[in-house]
Amino acid sequence: MKIDRRSLLRGTCQGALAVMGLPFLDCFLDSKGEALAATGKPLPTRFNTFFFGLGLTSQLWIPKTGGKDWEMTSQLKPLEAYRAKLNVFSGLRVPLDDNPNHQHWSGAAAAATGISPAKVNEFDSKTIDQQIADVISRGTRFKSISASCAGDPKQSLSSLGGANTIPAEASPLALYTRLFGPGFQDPTKGDWKPDPQTLIQQSVLSAVADNRKRVMQNLGPADRARMDQYFTSVREAELRLAAELQRPEIQANVTIPPAPAEMVCNNALPNLRKATPLMAQLGALALATDQTRVFNLSVSEPTSQIFMPGDSLAYHNTTHEEPIDPVLGYQPRVAQYNVDSMELFAMLLKELDAVPEGDGTVLDHSLVFAFTDQSFAKIHAVDGLPIFVAGSASGRMKTGCHVPGDGSPVSRVGLTIQNAMGVSLDVWGKGSMEVRQPYTDLLA
Amino acid sequence: MKRMRNLAISIPSLIVMVSGAMAADITSARTGANSEIVSMRRLTEAEYRNSIADIFGTEIEVRGRFEPMIRVGGLQAASTSVLSVTPVGFESFTKLADSIATQATEEKYRAKLPCVPKSAKAPDDACTPQVLSHFGRMLYRRPLTEDELQSAVNLSHALAESQNDFYAGLRYGLASLLQAPDFVFRMETAVPAGNKQWVLDSYSRATRLSYLMWDSTPDAELLQAAEKGDLNTAAGLEKQVDRLISSPRLDVGMRAFFNDMLELDNFDTVSKDSILYPKWSPSIAASAKEETLRTVIDLALHSNGDMRDLMTTRKTFLNRNLAADYQLPFQFTGEWMPYEFEPDSGRSGVLTQASMLAMFSHPGRSSPTKRGVAVMDIFLCEPTPAPPANVDFSVVNDTSGPLKTVRERLMAHANNSTCASCHNHSDPIGLSLEGFDTIGQRRSMENGQLIDLTATIQGRKFVGAAGLGQFLHENPKYPLCLARKVYAYSRGVNSEDVPASAFKAAYQAFANSGFRMRSLLKSMVEDKDYFSATPPSSESNSSAPNVADQ
Repeated sequence: MKIDRRSLLRGTCQGALAVMGLPFLDCFLDSKGEALAATGKPLPTRFNTFFFGLGLTSQLWIPKTGGKDWEMTSQLKPLEAYRAKLNVFSGLRVPLDDNPNHQHWSGAAAAATGISPAKVNEFDSKTIDQQIADVISRGTRFKSISASCAGDPKQSLSSLGGANTIPAEASPLALYTRLFGPGFQDPTKGDWKPDPQTLIQQSVLSAVADNRKRVMQNLGPADRARMDQYFTSVREAELRLAAELQRPEIQANVTIPPAPAEMVCNNALPNLRKATPLMAQLGALALATDQTRVFNLSVSEPTSQIFMPGDSLAYHNTTHEEPIDPVLGYQPRVAQYNVDSMELFAMLLKELDAVPEGDGTVLDHSLVFAFTDQSFAKIHAVDGLPIFVAGSASGRMKTGCHVPGDGSPVSRVGLTIQNAMGVSLDVWGKGSMEVRQPYTDLLA
Repeated sequence: MKRMRNLAISIPSLIVMVSGAMAADITSARTGANSEIVSMRRLTEAEYRNSIADIFGTEIEVRGRFEPMIRVGGLQAASTSVLSVTPVGFESFTKLADSIATQATEEKYRAKLPCVPKSAKAPDDACTPQVLSHFGRMLYRRPLTEDELQSAVNLSHALAESQNDFYAGLRYGLASLLQAPDFVFRMETAVPAGNKQWVLDSYSRATRLSYLMWDSTPDAELLQAAEKGDLNTAAGLEKQVDRLISSPRLDVGMRAFFNDMLELDNFDTVSKDSILYPKWSPSIAASAKEETLRTVIDLALHSNGDMRDLMTTRKTFLNRNLAADYQLPFQFTGEWMPYEFEPDSGRSGVLTQASMLAMFSHPGRSSPTKRGVAVMDIFLCEPTPAPPANVDFSVVNDTSGPLKTVRERLMAHANNSTCASCHNHSDPIGLSLEGFDTIGQRRSMENGQLIDLTATIQGRKFVGAAGLGQFLHENPKYPLCLARKVYAYSRGVNSEDVPASAFKAAYQAFANSGFRMRSLLKSMVEDKDYFSATPPSSESNSSAPNVADQ
């Protein structure tokens, strides 16, 4: 076994040490003590988010008991195949402190940042995927990739903070082209060699970056921050080129498929059912070939506009306008859309789990954070937000549990995730959502 | 003229010039270190495409995508002053830059370059700066500084040498300019004008005028006027403004404005229920957007009409797709034809065009609330606050119950005073448009009941879209809102933050002209305060590195 610079840079050790107090070298072994990959380098652990709008129906999704042997519920049924690789969090609080409950926004933003948002449609910090990408993405072509199954580049819950949302790829073809189009050198092929153009492009970017000192002058504070972001983006492009000069070390036995056909991507559920598995598969391949280590997939915006053709009311309006059935005690049509969301989530898990690598699958070497905007959309409630974490982060996260509400704020999941991902962090979130205690029982 | 910003050398001359502070000196004063960037706007997709076409020619293909914008105060334009460039956005800019520079240095394009190198296989330090300063001036909308030019020339030289190819070197030098912040952002530079007043320098004036009027980069004549300082004098400014306004290219600029104001960009992601409305298709959507733009441009510019008529006119433009949507016969053989709806059609201006009706509806049903809120926001500058979080809407939906029509169901809100405060404003507007379904087709029945199209706003009763159109036509808030939005659009600021005094004179001229669009534009940009800038805050002054550099 070799302790290489790369692992150290990723902060794997520091994170694990800070949280676990493990002996130094133990952090290079996973919880089961599995052998490392043949080359001596551990497989990178990847991070994914999955966003679905409008939550679930509490009576139908929350398992009755906590721990390992929870009884399957009707709304989680689509996730049955992955229950051993899944953690379910119920009863999480989302205290908004002095900020208003921004409908369809506060809950999603709280889950993604641990901060109650001051403004609608703006995050008060980088979102969790970007925070993690800052640590784990060094050396990959793309720091992160976001994709919208409903075909809207704005449907992205990945942000640099404020209104600076990272745009989503809005069709399987667009996602494919970004990942495997020009600039991609297939590491699964024997004839991999760096493109000489890359070196030239590096010198062009270097000239662009040289503008920094001059341009940052004479700017007011707000514009200076924006210009700083521009040059951070230039820097990221430089890192992408540097990554393209290195053959990624991969262990998955995958083949990059030909480009998918153009297709209609919108909020109609039948179209989402076609686009979601395709985009999830491309994401899984991107992770397996180490093009990126952070993949964000959304099936809707927070105020989900998903609709089943023939339902003139559509999902969002149904949540507000469908009466609660007095016998059932819930909104039956809303409940069906909830299950549809879980089926779409299962499609992502299926694709991640379908790519074998090393001693497991891409899902085993990932964490998937699934979140939503409301716990009870009808009244815009946020307390009790349904949250799921799938994958074992290369053995650093124990799975298969239902963690019932103990009054913890939703940010506790975020802190736990970051610890599992090797991000050195002992406090996360702000105000009443500031947490210092991860779910240590889940950390292996 | 040389433009130098980091410049210890120019301090003595600066003091002389600033103390002079006559209009003609403003161009010179801007060369000093005592200038500030007061606004930084990311180019929109259309601005970028139009600029490239104007600078390099329409034969250059711009194949790439652009980061989405958001709407601030009803306008995407305002977000261009707030948003930055994310890594995804820059990735696209850098690819676009390389693709454009590659095309511009290809064999077939070379005759257009301002010089021929001594050898196509070696660097040429005479020709390279000529080409790069020529395109650089157009890309940056001002002359390059010596440092900027030198940096691009050095890059070209090094790569021409290593590739044994003059044009390859040129390609990369150009690409570096095409992805520089000075191109992808429109920077507005202000200089002191005495009495603690700051004003835009002349190149920034040219840029603001050009993107407002033509949605593109300043042309050669406008840049020259900026260089000569003409835009700092009333007569020089008027000459250029008249030229811009009388050009057919004003169509392009106003299309961009109305596309933003009418929120037509939303239309790109509107989906309709294919079972309930199988007729709807992406081509109808594209046609509907075009119909609205043609209508508004025809009224505002081609007919030099009264902008209030946008609320009432029955004149429009149709193609085959739209004729199907409107259930009209279409015999015309060409693509688009002017058409006037029958007086009894119930149609009234853009209010009843398929674009607006479909955009502000649900996929499978119309929404008086969405339509009412949109009309208030877009045409009256009265945004509606978000509804309270905890509301039971069940009664609004239950079509199997006693409340058959949307009207009856909406009226249920009136029982709740929290809801009523807003719904009483927006719903009457939306209810008067209920004679049209979610894809803009006329109808008279809903769930077996005759639709009641009466509405009462501010004590005034009216019926249907025509009544609403007339109400808005006579409502002074509408042209005032239009003037406010043009002002906010051109300056890239939140329309809600603009004081009425900022466009008071422009509005007066607009009203005096009988609400002619050109009068509004002309009086707005010729207003004495239009190019004044908010003085940089003392905080930003003290932290600005140029102070330290001195």
